[in-house]
Amino acid sequence: MQSTRIEEMQRAADLLRLRAVRMVAPHGFGYLGQVLSSAELMAVTFAEGFRPGVDELVVSPGHYIIVAYAAGPELGLLDEAQLESYGRDGSALEAIGTESSPVVSITGGSLGQGLSSALGLALAARLSGRSEQRIFALVSDGELEEGQVWEAALFAGHHVLDNVVVLLDANDSQVDGPVSSITTLEPIAAKWESFGWSAFDVDGHDVAALSEALAQALASPRPAVIIARTSTSTGLHCLPEGADGHFIKISGELIDAAIAELEVRRA
Amino acid sequence: MRNLPPYPTVLKPYGRAFVELARRRREILCLSGDLTRQTEIDLFQEEFPDRFIHAGMAEANMISMAGALARRGFMPFVHTFGVFATRRPLDQIINSVAYPKLPVRIVGFMPGVSSPGGPSHQAIDDVALMRAVPNMTVIDVADATEITLAVAAIADVPGPVYLRLKRGEIPVIFDEDHEFSLAHAHVVSRGQDVTLFASGMMLSAALAAAQTLSDAGVSAGVVNVPVIKPLDRATVIAAAAGSRALVTAENHSIIGGLGSAVAEVIAEEGLGRRLRRVGLNDTFAEGAQNAPWLFKKYGLATQDVVDAAWSALDREGPAPLAPVVVTPPGEYAPV
Repeated sequence: MQSTRIEEMQRAADLLRLRAVRMVAPHGFGYLGQVLSSAELMAVTFAEGFRPGVDELVVSPGHYIIVAYAAGPELGLLDEAQLESYGRDGSALEAIGTESSPVVSITGGSLGQGLSSALGLALAARLSGRSEQRIFALVSDGELEEGQVWEAALFAGHHVLDNVVVLLDANDSQVDGPVSSITTLEPIAAKWESFGWSAFDVDGHDVAALSEALAQALASPRPAVIIARTSTSTGLHCLPEGADGHFIKISGELIDAAIAELEVRRA
Repeated sequence: MRNLPPYPTVLKPYGRAFVELARRRREILCLSGDLTRQTEIDLFQEEFPDRFIHAGMAEANMISMAGALARRGFMPFVHTFGVFATRRPLDQIINSVAYPKLPVRIVGFMPGVSSPGGPSHQAIDDVALMRAVPNMTVIDVADATEITLAVAAIADVPGPVYLRLKRGEIPVIFDEDHEFSLAHAHVVSRGQDVTLFASGMMLSAALAAAQTLSDAGVSAGVVNVPVIKPLDRATVIAAAAGSRALVTAENHSIIGGLGSAVAEVIAEEGLGRRLRRVGLNDTFAEGAQNAPWLFKKYGLATQDVVDAAWSALDREGPAPLAPVVVTPPGEYAPV
């Protein structure tokens, strides 16, 4: 792949981070870690997979809606000025996704439902003869603890819903700590494969690897999952050690440092 | 209408009405939770196999998929027993269907203690659960005529609907020219002493009880309330205001269903009528080979409706006895 293409997508990932810092900054805390972990995964998906107005995007964990808002202006689905209202009283851009959330087809705050919603959209596409439509579902690894995800995985495998691509942000983070300390999910890829899916297990901060996985996922004759191995602190070196990745606190000088770091890297 | 039991019965009135509707409405899809014959949708599967989606025993996934299908112009009818349709996927109903106000029809069979399958199979709280969900319409019918009319009527409801249906042999109480309304409760008769409000399978018991009470000199009216939400407040208020006492009868817990809905209205109106609620008295129902035994054990018999009215009116002496109805095979009578 051309190095400029890779650089473009890396810069797009850092733009998502920068926008997220600015959205969270007025509140002093928020779902920044989710953007830090999923930035490359979503930047690559928006650059090479998702076609606005054609494809469907489900953000299953509603607190990840911030990454969709952050990408909204470039997708032509959201006015950049609107980002300032993120999480404020009366805003359509609630911190946890709602029916008012722009950019996405469906989101949800109660975890584990998004993949089923994506399957409903995939069935609708199939019944309506939209065979080229792609259905993307951003899912978090913590959600794999919910039984409904596996009900859906079984259904998609049985019905060979090959236009479904799960973007799994495996950041090993949930409210009470590392997912791996609470529930053993491994081997994640083997689980999906045994359910009839194609699984692509990659470094979720490696843009080139994600790009290749996405191409293979889109070409797969089966439903596909990209397991993006990520961390909630990647791409923001100024964050203190041991920051709570699920709900990062950021204020004062740290905000200035974060913005400066990202702007320098994007320059 | 036929006011007294036993009633003739028919099979699969829902399944036939649903197929009829699906012929006219191409956007209708049928989802099954592995109870296809039991929920009468084998008829649909035969005629429209391409619009039939077998979701397997996975109610949560089934409901969320139905919500997404509804967002893209389809009208999914989801089928399983009422207990599985409401308890297991409650969160999915709320978040994937009701909050986005999508036209998903959740059809739950085997209400209340009509199942001798033990508490795991008895939908005794489904009306309460669905009534508490914003945007949800809640309907409980048991007569075949109303089932047929209700299926057609709910097709145009903009939001979600929970339709609660008896399984198996369905009594025919109303004539073919019966009018079913989503907006109005049906005043069968007026009673100056007592009004019996009934839904679903308890309508026939209320009709029989009213007759027994009338024979004993009590002016008893019956209001059929198939649509529990949105409740027809005006009809409830008018009937309540015209009677000295009120009885509700539902094949459901007395908490959260028809009895609660009526109580809320009469309290809000300051009507001050004494109210008795016939239904499951905050209990699970165990130990039965057949449903009638459960109706009797747990106080959902015609006699229980008579007794409730009698006590609400402070009548002296023992309540009149409801006649025991001999029910030939293939016919139906309430317990």
